Amino acid sequence: MTTSPPGSLLTAHDLRKAYGPTHALDGAEFSIHPGEIVAIMGPSGSGKSTLLHCLAGIVPPDSGSITYNGRELTTMSDARRSALRRSEFGFVFQFGQLVPELTCVENVALPLRLNGTSRKDAEKAALTWMERLEVDDLKAKRPGEVSGGQGQRVAVARALVTGPRLLFADEPTGALDSSNGERVMELLTEAARSTNAAVVLVTHETRVAAYSDREVVVRDGKSRDMERAV
Amino acid sequence: MSPRQWAKDLALGARFAVSGGREGWVRMTLTAVGVGLGVALLLLCTALPNVFAARAKVEDARFDYAYSAKTPPKADNTFLIAATDTTWHDDDIRGRLVEPEGERAPLPPGVGSFPGKGEMVVSPALRDLLASDDAELLRQRLPYTITGTIGESGLIGSHELAYYAGASGLKLTDVSPVHRLTEYGKPDAKPEKTDPVLLLMVLVVFVVLLTPVAVFIAAAVRFGGERRDRRLAALRLVGSDSHMTRRIAAGEALAGAVLGLVVGTGFFLLGRQTLGSTEVLGVSVWPGYLDPSPTLAALVAVAVPVAAVLVTLLAMRGVVVEPLGVVRAARQRRRRLWWRLLPPLAGLAMLYPMIGKGRGNGDFNKYLVTGGVLLLLIGITALLPWVVDAVVVRLGKGALSWQLAVRRLQLSSGTAARMVNGIAVAVAGAIALQMLFTGTQSQYTKATGEDPARVQMQVEFSDRKPLSGVEREFTGAKGVRAAVNLANLQYGDARRDPENSNGLTVGDCTALRELATLPSCKDGDVFVTRTRSHYGTPSNADEIALVKPGRRLYIDPSYGGDTTERGIEALWTVPANVRVVEARKDSLQNYNGLLVTPAALPAKAAPALFSEGVYVRLDPSVPDSREYARNVAARIDPLAGTYSWSATQENEKYTSIRTGLYVGSAFVLALIGASLLVSQLEQLRERRKLLSALVAFGARRRTLSLSVLWQTALPVGLGLLLATTVGVTLGSVLLKMTRTPVAMDWASVLTMTGVGAAVVAVVTLLSLPPLLRMMRPEGLRTE
Repeated sequence: MTTSPPGSLLTAHDLRKAYGPTHALDGAEFSIHPGEIVAIMGPSGSGKSTLLHCLAGIVPPDSGSITYNGRELTTMSDARRSALRRSEFGFVFQFGQLVPELTCVENVALPLRLNGTSRKDAEKAALTWMERLEVDDLKAKRPGEVSGGQGQRVAVARALVTGPRLLFADEPTGALDSSNGERVMELLTEAARSTNAAVVLVTHETRVAAYSDREVVVRDGKSRDMERAV
Repeated sequence: MSPRQWAKDLALGARFAVSGGREGWVRMTLTAVGVGLGVALLLLCTALPNVFAARAKVEDARFDYAYSAKTPPKADNTFLIAATDTTWHDDDIRGRLVEPEGERAPLPPGVGSFPGKGEMVVSPALRDLLASDDAELLRQRLPYTITGTIGESGLIGSHELAYYAGASGLKLTDVSPVHRLTEYGKPDAKPEKTDPVLLLMVLVVFVVLLTPVAVFIAAAVRFGGERRDRRLAALRLVGSDSHMTRRIAAGEALAGAVLGLVVGTGFFLLGRQTLGSTEVLGVSVWPGYLDPSPTLAALVAVAVPVAAVLVTLLAMRGVVVEPLGVVRAARQRRRRLWWRLLPPLAGLAMLYPMIGKGRGNGDFNKYLVTGGVLLLLIGITALLPWVVDAVVVRLGKGALSWQLAVRRLQLSSGTAARMVNGIAVAVAGAIALQMLFTGTQSQYTKATGEDPARVQMQVEFSDRKPLSGVEREFTGAKGVRAAVNLANLQYGDARRDPENSNGLTVGDCTALRELATLPSCKDGDVFVTRTRSHYGTPSNADEIALVKPGRRLYIDPSYGGDTTERGIEALWTVPANVRVVEARKDSLQNYNGLLVTPAALPAKAAPALFSEGVYVRLDPSVPDSREYARNVAARIDPLAGTYSWSATQENEKYTSIRTGLYVGSAFVLALIGASLLVSQLEQLRERRKLLSALVAFGARRRTLSLSVLWQTALPVGLGLLLATTVGVTLGSVLLKMTRTPVAMDWASVLTMTGVGAAVVAVVTLLSLPPLLRMMRPEGLRTE
């Protein structure tokens, strides 16, 4: 096992993951520091989402190691990884994946309620985040009644409401038009920076990747760090 | 809109249904299997009239009982036949001893040639039974060589146990069960008039069992509906308007329904063969009996596809399909109660004119009954969405799993209600029927006066057997604890045509104690029983006066002058020790008269003493004790009848209808369970990605499983509550129609709702493993 870069929050080394005959990850490496925004880029089917799922402890890799804050993720039980995701990680998916039957404020409050926060406190905190993401007027609406961009901002609020140290965003603007996408990215990165949350951002759009501090390119399951020329 | 455009759109939908790749085929298969199951059940119902007719035809064709008191003279076309029906464990065996008296004697239906003495022809089921290892006692009872098989034309079902055994020397007497006949078959076979209340029960059973099937078919054509809606969105994108989209959706459903018809016919044909080789609750049929009535089958073939199209069009009203791949539920209109109340109220209105009619005023109007019951039950499907809606909207906030479930129900209460419709309709119907059955049970069950704790079996001989010896044969047999043997004869005050005469019962002290309370008894004692009227006053003073000590009486006097009924005319002097005793209220005989022990009679009376039957007390600890006793009876007299005692006896038709209801209910519940499971799995599949996303957030599987459980439990609870209300209402109305006092049978209500809840619980349990699989985070993968 290699040592983690000094001060890194999350480090992955030699990750391998296969789905049947397809090698989604084939020795991928990754690291991120607190407050850093790293974009994982690559063509479709290159393994970027699989890398994100492995880093977030959603999917266990076949081999390799993932260290979060000094703790090895790959040897953790499913229950402990779930607890970690509840308390320290946040997620934004391409289509929001908001629960259609809950109102927007209930959706944002959901991660807090999963952590055991009372409904009242959870919804109060949720409303604060919805204000920051400029969607507080949608609080009583259901996801089916809001636009794609609005829904995605609700999803960002939901990802940030627990005050995560690490935010995973999988193609967060993939389903949005460019102006809506840019607004979502602005709000997401602003909010992350204000809370010093690190962001792992999976995208194939350079425009979106431009919001990151650093880019990692994944191709054929292997990752390559790209230093950004500022 | 031209019919041509309609047809074109429907055809396009049908084409989409079969060309949708793997997903499309899965959906089509689910729909076809679901509709197919319903269609198979409907076809089975359309075949039932034929089943009854075919069985009755065989019963009539093999009828071999002489109604007429006039026996034809022996001729070359006559035969003697005697019923020797018996029972093996709980299965009835139809048996006949047959003796042709001439060359032209007709053969029984299904029999190729007369069996000779010591031979028998048997049904295939009896042949198998006799060949089995555990039928040794039956082989002893039927000690004949099997020489042939009874064909289908002589049997009412593939599993009927029957035999014809050859006999010689059958005696045709006034008391024997032997008949001389020239042909088989019931003369002037007319359909028996059935009690109007039983007809009402049959009608209600049919409606109650078929309504859930219809509801099930309606649900089956909507399997995979959400996925289909997404496909339709793509069609909107390429220019299909909203009306066209709906017609295309209807076309898809039509294709599923038509394929369902084909699959259902296949299921039916398979089931027909299977049912032909199985027995359900003691009833078996031949596959050939299960021929659907052409008119009813045609009705099914038309009604199912039409219903599929209508249901789809109705369902699509609440869905807005937009071109950008997004399907949004149209803002739910507030569900209105007034029109939902119309079907059940109309149903009640149709049944109302028949209230108080009872069984004495002819048959119930079958159209009004069918329509009324149908509307009441269909009313549940109209009311349930409103009830679920009205309740869930008021439900408070609770734990997260509760909140997720309640919110889901608030968003799409229709889907939840649809899932529960079938079970609610079935439970409501079952409650109503159970109330009707329980309420009218006393009218169709009569007390026999028999006490099965005292005597378990009664044997009746075909002719007179000597009193002594018969009893010993039984008491010496395995499994028999005691046998009571009594002889009954007459005595009078004159040798011939006495002015006063009464009955006399002869038996040992043990036997006589079964009839009266005897203070003490020894052979040679005589007792006269005091009978009492309904009010407890003595009612046989004349009889007691006749048997004064020292009086000369005649046992077995003659009647009818010199020509007929010549008795033994044995002179008997009433002994001095004759005592008056009280008859037992639970005496084995209705009439006891004079009770005499054998030694008290003159020797001349001995030839008049014969046994007509024996009461047998069995040892319950000996397995097959009944079979041992039956074998003794058959050995003493092959024509003897054996009857098990029971406290009550149910009307056979009533029992058949109830058996039919149980068989039908089992099929319907299995069908509904299958439908529920498919709907549940489909819904879970639709939410797979969302469930995975929630797991990615760290949601506990327990929370999500509980939320799914609440989502099922809430509508099921409400559905069962509504079902109970409608079921009790319908049951009360049916009881009032039959003029039976309305009494609530809460045990059956709880049983029926419990069965409904159990079906749902089983379905939920079965859907848990796939649910847990779907909650894996891998569900987030799209490639």
